[in-house]
Amino acid sequence: MKFVVERDYLVDAVNWVSKSISNRPITTALLGIIIDATDEITLSGSDLESSANAKLKADISQTGKVLVPGKLLAEISRSLPAKPITFTLEGTKVLVSAGSAKFTLPTLPITEYPNLPQVPPSTGSLKSDLFATAVTQVAIAAGKDDSLPTLTGVFVEINKNQITLAATDRYRLAVRELSWSAVDPSVEATALLRARTIADAAKSLTTSSNVSISLAQPNSNEKLVGFVSDGKTMTSRVLDGSFPPFRHLLPSDATAEAVIEVAPLLDSVRRVALVTDKTVPLRLNFSNNTLQLEAGTGDEAQASEKIDINYKGEDINIAFNPTFLTDGLIALGTAFVHISFTGANKPAVLTGQNEATGEFIANYKYLLMPMRYSS
Amino acid sequence: MSVFSSLIDQTEVIKVLQEAVMASRNNSDTTQAMTHAWLFTGPPGSGRSNAAVAFAAALVCKEGGCSKCNDCMSTITGSHADVELIKTEGLSIKIDEIRELISRASWAPSVSNWRVVVIEDADRLTDSAANALLKVIEEPGLRTVWLLCAPTLTDVLPTIRSRCRHLSLRTPSTKAISNLLVTRDGVDPKVADFVARASGGHIGRARYLATDASAKENRENILRLPFMLKDIASAFTAAQVLVESAKKEALTDSEKKDEVEISKLKQAWGSTGSKLVAGGSKAIKELEKEQKSRSTRMVRDYLDRALLDLATLYRDILLVQSGSTDSLINQDLTDQIKKLAASQSPEKTLKKIEAILKARINLAQNAAPLLLIEALMCELR
Repeated sequence: MKFVVERDYLVDAVNWVSKSISNRPITTALLGIIIDATDEITLSGSDLESSANAKLKADISQTGKVLVPGKLLAEISRSLPAKPITFTLEGTKVLVSAGSAKFTLPTLPITEYPNLPQVPPSTGSLKSDLFATAVTQVAIAAGKDDSLPTLTGVFVEINKNQITLAATDRYRLAVRELSWSAVDPSVEATALLRARTIADAAKSLTTSSNVSISLAQPNSNEKLVGFVSDGKTMTSRVLDGSFPPFRHLLPSDATAEAVIEVAPLLDSVRRVALVTDKTVPLRLNFSNNTLQLEAGTGDEAQASEKIDINYKGEDINIAFNPTFLTDGLIALGTAFVHISFTGANKPAVLTGQNEATGEFIANYKYLLMPMRYSS
Repeated sequence: MSVFSSLIDQTEVIKVLQEAVMASRNNSDTTQAMTHAWLFTGPPGSGRSNAAVAFAAALVCKEGGCSKCNDCMSTITGSHADVELIKTEGLSIKIDEIRELISRASWAPSVSNWRVVVIEDADRLTDSAANALLKVIEEPGLRTVWLLCAPTLTDVLPTIRSRCRHLSLRTPSTKAISNLLVTRDGVDPKVADFVARASGGHIGRARYLATDASAKENRENILRLPFMLKDIASAFTAAQVLVESAKKEALTDSEKKDEVEISKLKQAWGSTGSKLVAGGSKAIKELEKEQKSRSTRMVRDYLDRALLDLATLYRDILLVQSGSTDSLINQDLTDQIKKLAASQSPEKTLKKIEAILKARINLAQNAAPLLLIEALMCELR
């Protein structure tokens, strides 16, 4: 095996593949990255749950396939000078040289490496930046408690030309709908994916304009999800378990609505939340076009702040977990937030709005459960 | 031929499992023969982990456990994509390991209908590890099944117990074991009968005794010890001999294995020298810790087996003292047993058996091996 490759391409590919490598894999072979040099170079790595591979163009003078220590390859490729890099297999060692810098990488027995799954055929595609934003908006609401695996996932539902992403940790629910172009216009499929995996894939696959998603058909034996974009692919196993029905949780009408500018609200929330820790409620009092934020009671440290807002409906006293509220406000990504209430003990729905007046954007909803508090 | 035919003398258990497999293949099943968590109990060597693995194979096999297809074979070797086999060579299964397992267990099955997790040593779960399991065992994913194995029900937390369907394997009869050895391993029927008795119903141990010369020799050396106990000095010598041979047996195997494992891991992290990439030295330290725990376990297991052998000897002595010589376990030592039986009272023999069993409990509770055996030998004197 012998080939010459550009440094930037190599670093990019190695970083991508490293995402799928665990520090504590089930077998030591999984610490490695496979370098396969045939028509082009393919790097692949896996932790058995997800596997990633990246193709890159190179000047190949001799084909071959080796398994090298992944972490070491990553560190070496990052530190090499910006010059063409030559890889040569000599015996059981790979010589890596760039300009005057030379490294020797040991190889690992490739026969011990498990067979990696192939990406299923594409189900459809969409703009990669759109997908990345949507996934980030939803993944924030996914649970972090591994003892409830179903809730650590992002639920992906494909209904013809529409994708719905949803995630919840029981205290909040984020739902994002977006349209895409399906290969088969009548396709219907669902999958539950670990939030970390899908967020990683979506964030890193933004180098080209489109990302293709492959979801196995419900009746097929291949229970994998694949993401492909510009020579990079990732496959991931799906989670077992049924995502709770979530659509009926979103209230269809509201008894009160508020429109608030996000930036000043975020600042106020952060300031007032200084006297709380993560589990202490932040109390919000909406009345007469003003919002009063308060936190802390009795002998504890207290804070309060008043801001002018645009409010319609009866006065309401409601309390939220400040972290969850901040998460939601950031995830909206708009200048204004539209909050609709159906009561002080019922969840509130946050949606984005670009102008102070006008319609809210209905394709992203962040539902937030209120906290109980004693006044 | 089905995967269950590897289970010896367990017809009732096999029937329950086969019904469960049938029910698991029928989506409209209402018999509730299948459930999401099972606890297999049975004395060591009765094949409880084999039963769990066979059940796992039957669940993922398209034919319901044919023992020939790829699904069955890879389950048994532990490489099936949808079956996790958890066993430890160390002293305990720690919470970190279980947390990772829970995360892997939440994958949907990829090639078969079920995702099966087998924990072969549920008795070795630390309390915190067992508690971490509670939630997932109670409500696993739709297609996930947990199979736990332990010697007895009391070896697992009551909270785990109550979440599982319980299956109890019995000690296989001497006859069944010797039949198996004769037909499967081609052991001479006389030898087979002897080792089946000497193993106390432990299939693996019986086979080892019948086929491995050093195992047989070790057993004989251990059983010779009680006959050389005369005074305090000889008791201490005997204890030393026993503990030394335990250490020798455990360490000669493990030292080589340890070295290979370490160098393999170092290489996978990309080092041939001393410098390791970030994360590498942590991984090496963890492996060293596991290896240490494994060596301790090997010494302990050897001593435990030796104590069991000694207990059978005193059982035989008690039998002779009460006037029976028919069903001696250690028939090769009949003459010496008779001699020793004549020289002491049955009450004393009973006390000695009690002392041996107490020593076994202390051993499991982390007593220093040499001190423990010395104390025991003094009591056996």
